[in-house]
Amino acid sequence: MTTSAEIAVERRDGSIVAKLSGEVDITNSQYIAHELAGSVPNDAAALVVDLSRTRYLDSAAIELLFDLARRLRRRRQALRLVLPSSSPLKRVLEVTEIAAVAPVHESLDDALKPSEPQV
Amino acid sequence: MAGSAEEQLRTVARQQAAVAELGQRALGGLALEELVDQAVAVAARELEAEFVSVLELTGDRRGLLIRAGHGWPEGVVGGVLPSDDDAFPAFALGSDGPVVVDEFATETRFAPSAVQRELGIASALAAPIGSAGGHFGVLGVHSREPCSFGPDDAHFVQALANVVGTAAERARAEELVRDSEARFRELADTTPALMWTTDSDGHVTFVNEGWLRFTGRSLAEELGDTFAMTAHPEDRERLRRGWAEAIANRNELHAEYRLRRYDGEYRWVQETGVPRWEGGDFLGHVGTATDIHERRLMEEALRESEQGFRELADSAPVMIWTTDTDGLITFVNEGWLEFTGHELQEELGATWTVGVHSEDADGMLSSWLRALAARQPWQREYRLRRRDGEYRWIVDRGVPRYEGGRFVGYVGTATDIHDRRSMEERLRQVYEREHRIAETLQRSLLPERLPQIDGVAMAARYLPAGRGAAIGGDWYDAIELKDGRVALVVGDVVGHGLRAAATMGQLRNACRAYALVEASPAEVIARLNRLVASAGEDAMATVLYLVLDRETGEVSFTSAGHPPPLVLSRRGPDFLEGGRSVPVGAADPAVFREARETLPPGATLLLYTDGLVERRDVPLGDRLGQLKAAAAAAGGELQEICDQVLRGVLGLQDPVDDVALLAVRPEVASAEHLSLTLPAEPESLAGLRQRLGRFLHAAGASEAEQYEITLSVCEAAGNAVEHAYGPGDADFRVEIRVDGHQVTADVSDRGSWREPRGQERGRGLRIIEGLMEDVEVNSAENGTVVRMRRRLAAGVPA
Repeated sequence: MTTSAEIAVERRDGSIVAKLSGEVDITNSQYIAHELAGSVPNDAAALVVDLSRTRYLDSAAIELLFDLARRLRRRRQALRLVLPSSSPLKRVLEVTEIAAVAPVHESLDDALKPSEPQV
Repeated sequence: MAGSAEEQLRTVARQQAAVAELGQRALGGLALEELVDQAVAVAARELEAEFVSVLELTGDRRGLLIRAGHGWPEGVVGGVLPSDDDAFPAFALGSDGPVVVDEFATETRFAPSAVQRELGIASALAAPIGSAGGHFGVLGVHSREPCSFGPDDAHFVQALANVVGTAAERARAEELVRDSEARFRELADTTPALMWTTDSDGHVTFVNEGWLRFTGRSLAEELGDTFAMTAHPEDRERLRRGWAEAIANRNELHAEYRLRRYDGEYRWVQETGVPRWEGGDFLGHVGTATDIHERRLMEEALRESEQGFRELADSAPVMIWTTDTDGLITFVNEGWLEFTGHELQEELGATWTVGVHSEDADGMLSSWLRALAARQPWQREYRLRRRDGEYRWIVDRGVPRYEGGRFVGYVGTATDIHDRRSMEERLRQVYEREHRIAETLQRSLLPERLPQIDGVAMAARYLPAGRGAAIGGDWYDAIELKDGRVALVVGDVVGHGLRAAATMGQLRNACRAYALVEASPAEVIARLNRLVASAGEDAMATVLYLVLDRETGEVSFTSAGHPPPLVLSRRGPDFLEGGRSVPVGAADPAVFREARETLPPGATLLLYTDGLVERRDVPLGDRLGQLKAAAAAAGGELQEICDQVLRGVLGLQDPVDDVALLAVRPEVASAEHLSLTLPAEPESLAGLRQRLGRFLHAAGASEAEQYEITLSVCEAAGNAVEHAYGPGDADFRVEIRVDGHQVTADVSDRGSWREPRGQERGRGLRIIEGLMEDVEVNSAENGTVVRMRRRLAAGVPA
């Protein structure tokens, strides 16, 4: 049994949208981190990571989101997350206070609206 | 390193194919030097490695020669590293599995080697070459960029190292065999004894110089169907009968007869022939003849007069002794005193074990006393100390003597047979070593331990055939498929020896690769059949390929000429008879059938190779019945079932052919309790998650609860994995209970709980505390238990 995740990247309205599906844990978080970081060109305003179809995140995966936010901030780019409130992953993002570095939006459209109030 | 699961599987399949190909070349007799170079090239290609090295332990075992490499600056290959320091190469040499270094900067077990330091190597992966305790060297992969080598990479490098190790061992053994054959002839030709060998038909294939000197005949005259031709006409018939019997039964031959000497005189000789075996095949006999003419004369002279006997005895070139009726030594001749260096007085009386090797003394004495009490003839081989202190093997033989019908004691003779004994011993060692190498190779091709597959309990046994038999081409395997089902494979390549073992390795790897792309058993077998046909070799194998749905118990299977699997359930044992097809390699094209069945709940599947049920003397139907009976009587854990079935069918005998046995049981899930012991490796976590998810779902947990509890348990398990007591082989344990609405989960390991290190692990503990209602960490000397509690909104429906 191996952990598997897939990333689909597209460009929308000057931002990069990365849809992350499947499971991310300590065994593949480095690979995912590498893919995500590599998907953001210098001229993109933000990276939106859509977690709507993500089934599992562990502490290593959350650590990678913190790390990614730090890295993007240094390049004056924003990290935003998409997670519907019905997702089982909701509480773990609250507990780890990821919103302090990457605002969490209810839907992809919300995340792409400029300067919307954060959820 | 990890892409999508499919990509990972493809990589693994490609790596396995590369290992199988290298193994095939190794068995094809590729020189070790070239094989090492190819192993380096394969590692560099498959892992896209910057640097690859093969280190070999030097003759004095104090250095590691950089024997071959890839990517290194000039001058590195050919250099020598110390083998006894605290650096990486020495550590890898002493380990019993692959060693992974994520980053030398944070590595605490050892330092980088001088070469690694100089080049600024950041990450490395190395595997010991050769079997534990006798390592030949180390195969290493190195990178200046930090990178993390995964378990598949580690397994791949270890597999390459195993191939190199097997080839190195074989090269050494071949040298030894060559060496010892030459030494046998040399010894045979310089020994004063008369020696010969025969083939399995009893035809003479070799006689030594001593024999030719004795008979005065030429080698050409002696070879062929010449047995007993030079014996005395009166002895010839008796000798021929004994010889025919020894060949037919492959027994030892013992005979005393008169052999014609070059000068026409017939001399009494004592002849011993010992059967020779190689890989289960009877090769013929190797024999020695010893001139016992003086002894025979002695016995005759003794019948005439005591005085005449002693005079004759002292001039005889053999060792002679006599006893009285109590067995006390009354006389030893000059020859005996010459050998032991003792005075006559020291040898008289109850001196039987004087000078006898301490390991042989007890056995020798008790056999002598037994013979004496029964007044039976006595013969014994033991080691006796010569005057120079060396223990020499002698054969000592005594016969009771009578005067006028009255027992008066024993007369005996002893002969130095040391050279013959050591030659026999050496030959035996060579044959055993060859057998061991083939066995090692076969074991290295079998999975080291069965993969941990979630929801299926498995146990396997591999019994090599008894001593003197060649290695077979049996294998078993278990593969977790993409669709969540499990493929079980048992196969048997027709034939024996290294070639069959190599074909087995190839088929096993091919089967693994096909299993990942084909869902249908018949199609997997058809692909194997095409592979064998296209390889143009006349290989043939019986294979049983079965796919199990562990949720429903449904199985679909194809049996390519293989005996049927057995199902054990409450209904009793029953064979799965369908899906019968021709063996792989028997015909091309061929049609392979597939059958479907559903296993009763709690059933155990037994898959086996025909070594378990086939014996020349018993019809197959009877043996299958015997297996059924043994299986019906077996019970308990899978390991015990395997042992009971093997014992029940084979008894205490070694099997005549190799036996592979695989027992598999889909586990019946309990709704209240789950207990798992898993290896402390990050790779265990994915399976643990699946298992917890299913368990919690059945317990009525909501999707969010399933995730949150699973995550908490896995975070605690992650800590156990990271801080378990040693690298590699440690286990951790997860126990989870649902009591109404209350969930209690314990994660225990035998390591000590460490304070969270860095932000990441700190976050792990914070997650557990945030998601569970109650967390306790109990750390004791023998391990740590993390206990977590939480209530479910809705529990199991009562």
